[in-house]
Amino acid sequence: MPPAITADRLSKTFKVKVRDPGLKGALRALLKPRYRDVHAVRDVTFAIEPGEIVGFLGPNGAGKTTTLKMLAGLLYPTSGRVAVAGFAPWGGGPAFKRRIALVLGNRQQLVWDLPPEETFQLNRAIYDIAEPDYRERLAELVALLDLGDLLQKPVRQLSLGERMKCELAAALLHRPPILFLDEPTLGLDVTAQEAIRRFLTQYRERYGATVLLTSHYMQDVTALASRVLIINRGRLLYDGALAALVARISRTKRIELVLADGVTREVLAGFGDVKEFRFPNAVLEVPREDAATTSARLLAALPVADLSIEDPPIEDVIRAAFAGGIELDEP
Amino acid sequence: MGQWEDEFILDCGLRIADWRWRVEVQGNVRGSKRSLTIRNPQSAIRILAALWRLNLAEELQYRANFVASVLGTFFWIGTALLTLAVFFSHATRLGGWDYWEVVVLLGVFNALTGVIEAVLRPGIGRLAGEVRNGGLDLVLAKPVDAQAFVSFRRLDIWRLSDVVLGLTLAGYALHRLGHTPSLAQLAAFALALASAAVVVYALWVALMSLAFWFVSVENLSVLFDAVYEGARYPVSAYPEALRFLFVYLIPIAWTTTIPASALTGRLRPEIGLAAALVAGTALALSRLVWRAALKRYTGASG
Ligand SMILES: Nc1ncnc2c1ncn2[C@@H]1O[C@H](COP(=O)(O)OP(=O)(O)O)[C@@H](O)[C@H]1O
Ligand SMILES: [Mg+2]
Repeated sequence: MPPAITADRLSKTFKVKVRDPGLKGALRALLKPRYRDVHAVRDVTFAIEPGEIVGFLGPNGAGKTTTLKMLAGLLYPTSGRVAVAGFAPWGGGPAFKRRIALVLGNRQQLVWDLPPEETFQLNRAIYDIAEPDYRERLAELVALLDLGDLLQKPVRQLSLGERMKCELAAALLHRPPILFLDEPTLGLDVTAQEAIRRFLTQYRERYGATVLLTSHYMQDVTALASRVLIINRGRLLYDGALAALVARISRTKRIELVLADGVTREVLAGFGDVKEFRFPNAVLEVPREDAATTSARLLAALPVADLSIEDPPIEDVIRAAFAGGIELDEP
Repeated sequence: MGQWEDEFILDCGLRIADWRWRVEVQGNVRGSKRSLTIRNPQSAIRILAALWRLNLAEELQYRANFVASVLGTFFWIGTALLTLAVFFSHATRLGGWDYWEVVVLLGVFNALTGVIEAVLRPGIGRLAGEVRNGGLDLVLAKPVDAQAFVSFRRLDIWRLSDVVLGLTLAGYALHRLGHTPSLAQLAAFALALASAAVVVYALWVALMSLAFWFVSVENLSVLFDAVYEGARYPVSAYPEALRFLFVYLIPIAWTTTIPASALTGRLRPEIGLAAALVAGTALALSRLVWRAALKRYTGASG
């Protein structure tokens, strides 16, 4: 089967008017506008197989949303090629749009003053869903998302989490095989985030949908996706398994210890960087290649009840990587 | 006047309908996005029905809007008539039109205003803001013709009262003129009025599409109002240069002057066909502008 999504040297450049502050700046911008190129996405290439769920990671302004919008056919690429479900998204027309769902965490399609079901009915008309199919799918989505009696309340009375669940339902009534989700858990509390993650997992298992998901909550990605794309300043820096990423970019290992009596922080500091110390538990960080020897020395020198060697938490690795300007080979 | 012309117009009408139908069908076969009409009329009607039902559900909460709308219209018509009366106390003709002829035109103007306020301003009139804040994103993700969807998504039903009042005013003025239009004149009027609505629509599309180029322009509908203001009086009342502009470049002559002239018999009924041709051209051009504009859509960040 051909890939569900391919991007080939995809780029998007925005022309942005430059404006100096103040009245004088405004006047100058009016008379003699100057433009600056913002390279939101540069030469991004990847392919996603049908049924894959891929996390799209990157700091704010990295170009995630812009890429997603090009894949969904909203934005016209400056250069490069995209294919989604065998269509060129721009100009793919209704036949293409029926195959995708686009959920943007900061845009809303539900009509504010009316219950969500009214918007669902509109989508039923737009996607031409037969009445029995509609009933069946709605019942299923209500069960999976635990919507209960939300459908009859005006949208303005729903909480943020409830609203996002209804947004997802509205976007999935036509049961698209390809999902583009941009920050679907934005601003939600932990329980709501978990509910949405659970739902996405179940939805994908049932329908084999291909999912591309951006989020800046690392848990979303670690819980859902085994593969990640990392983008920074418009460039794709990494494409591959999450676990392999950690091995590649983290130069350290964590040694987690349970200590017996009489060990102080100062003593431990002789062996490595003490990350946590709450007796009897302690965490040391050491260079990757020294992990084994340091462990042996610890066991020999100190009263250790338990010891394990771990990779640092993915969140920390990625955050550190972004902060330090990631050094990764081109994927 | 009479038999022959009626048949001629009818025949042309049928032929145009037939031709349109063929364009639609061909567009369908090729699956091309380029056909001008919405390809599947059935689905378009279904979507419109759903949209307007939604709208009505919202609107019904505000029944006071109806009263406000009707009162507003009466007030507007009153002021307009008064202005005319003041003018005609000094002159007997305005651009060669006498008082009641101009009132017919005023009626047409008001009927079109109703269409604008009921459908266009609340629909495509919001486009500029949505280009700015990215509100268009979710429309573009849907399997609909974005132009049609954006244009006809709303129906502020109360404002349709303007259409009724406007046509009533035109009818009354016609009566005062002592003119009973022939069938051909009525048909030409109907065609010219429908064309006028299309021309007005095309003007909105073209103006609103500017939002894609000049993202920071807040209120493009003001631009439309300024232009449309010119349609309040017969084009013959304007100096030569403006007249040329209104007939050929910014075709607002076709919005009120032509339908009113067709009704009063000032112009021969064939003008209805010319109006239809102008409307078709305007629509096609607006479509081209829209398509060019959409390519420039950048949305808002985030
Ligand atoms: N419509 C736009 N006009 C101008 N610049 C934009 C626009 N949309 C995004 N950008 C810029 O492009 C870059 C990428 O933005 P975006 O794709 O929204 O990033 P992300 O979703 O990863 O946070 C940012 O520098 C942003 O300022
Ligand atoms: Mg974003």
